[in-house]
Amino acid sequence: MSQATSVPSHEHHEHAHPPGLQHHFTDMKQQFEASKIGMWLFLVTEVLLFGGLFVGYGIMHSKHPEAFIAAHSHLDWRLGALNTIILLVSSFTMVMGVWAAQTGQKQKLIGYLTTTFVLAGAFMVVKYFEYSHKFHEGLLPGKFYAHQGDTVPGQFMFFSFYFMMTGLHGIHVLLGMVAIAWLIYRASKGHFSSQYYGPVDMVGLYWHLVDLIWIYLFPLMYLLS
Amino acid sequence: MEHTHEHDHHITGPKTYLAVIGALLVLTIITVWVAQFDFGAANTVVALLVASFKGALVALYFMHLRHDKFNAVIFVGGLLFLGVFLIFSLFDISTRQTVLPSNLKEPVQAFPGAPLGKPVQPSTGMPKGQAPSMPQ
Repeated sequence: MSQATSVPSHEHHEHAHPPGLQHHFTDMKQQFEASKIGMWLFLVTEVLLFGGLFVGYGIMHSKHPEAFIAAHSHLDWRLGALNTIILLVSSFTMVMGVWAAQTGQKQKLIGYLTTTFVLAGAFMVVKYFEYSHKFHEGLLPGKFYAHQGDTVPGQFMFFSFYFMMTGLHGIHVLLGMVAIAWLIYRASKGHFSSQYYGPVDMVGLYWHLVDLIWIYLFPLMYLLS
Repeated sequence: MEHTHEHDHHITGPKTYLAVIGALLVLTIITVWVAQFDFGAANTVVALLVASFKGALVALYFMHLRHDKFNAVIFVGGLLFLGVFLIFSLFDISTRQTVLPSNLKEPVQAFPGAPLGKPVQPSTGMPKGQAPSMPQ
């Protein structure tokens, strides 16, 4: 009891003032490092979540190469490449947003975050056109597959993986848009500074992981040969 | 105090980020370009190598792992477990002739979702009429 009251009295007085510092952390640096470790552990669970789908894809692809190659020709690689470029550029604007936050430039931060949000929306619009084309053609997963005139059987397997993997990735893009909108709101309220920009950095890490997963999805889905 | 704070959080500048996004866009062109060539069984390996190079750029520069050794260990540790998952699954799968659900007692004739309106033997992946007995 006496220890608890005597030891932190000096520190508490020194660190109570930084805005954004939670009371259970000693200082801003400790808070930042702790949330960063937590974020990276979460990202590892994300890697393993998608990893299960990638392993399943690898197994079925190695067992049914003809079906996968025939099925992938229903995808338009140009739309996939367009979405790759959109997502890469959005990763760039996100990291520029982190830089603007680190250097305390509020207007630039809001600008970069808004650009990232718009690019994420553009990605989803392209995705919408791709999906609606496939729904129209009956290129659906598993037992819902209804495409006519196939010469190679088993193509429904490819579309099971296609919709599960790009669908889960698309959900991540949508959640990322929610997180970025939240950052734009907080940035406009003036919550962030060069001393406190943890949330921008954490959402940035998440957004780069979403980009990183797409970097693997693009050649595996669109560019088989 | 102020000095150590700046020293601990390494700030990478826009010039580096511009160079990285430039490299990533060039590598995207290379991704599409190499897909035109047929390397046989190495096709997927080549595609994954290019993708991994891009992924490394994103992780090292955009995610700042270059200046963040501790979290790099966490991330690479996760990737190692993914590698164990993948390699041991492929050991198993590549030594089997067919892949069927584990609860099946005997071979199935029809497969749910068979796309041609006729029963399809599961797990062949071969064009119609070809014998599925030989492993690929």
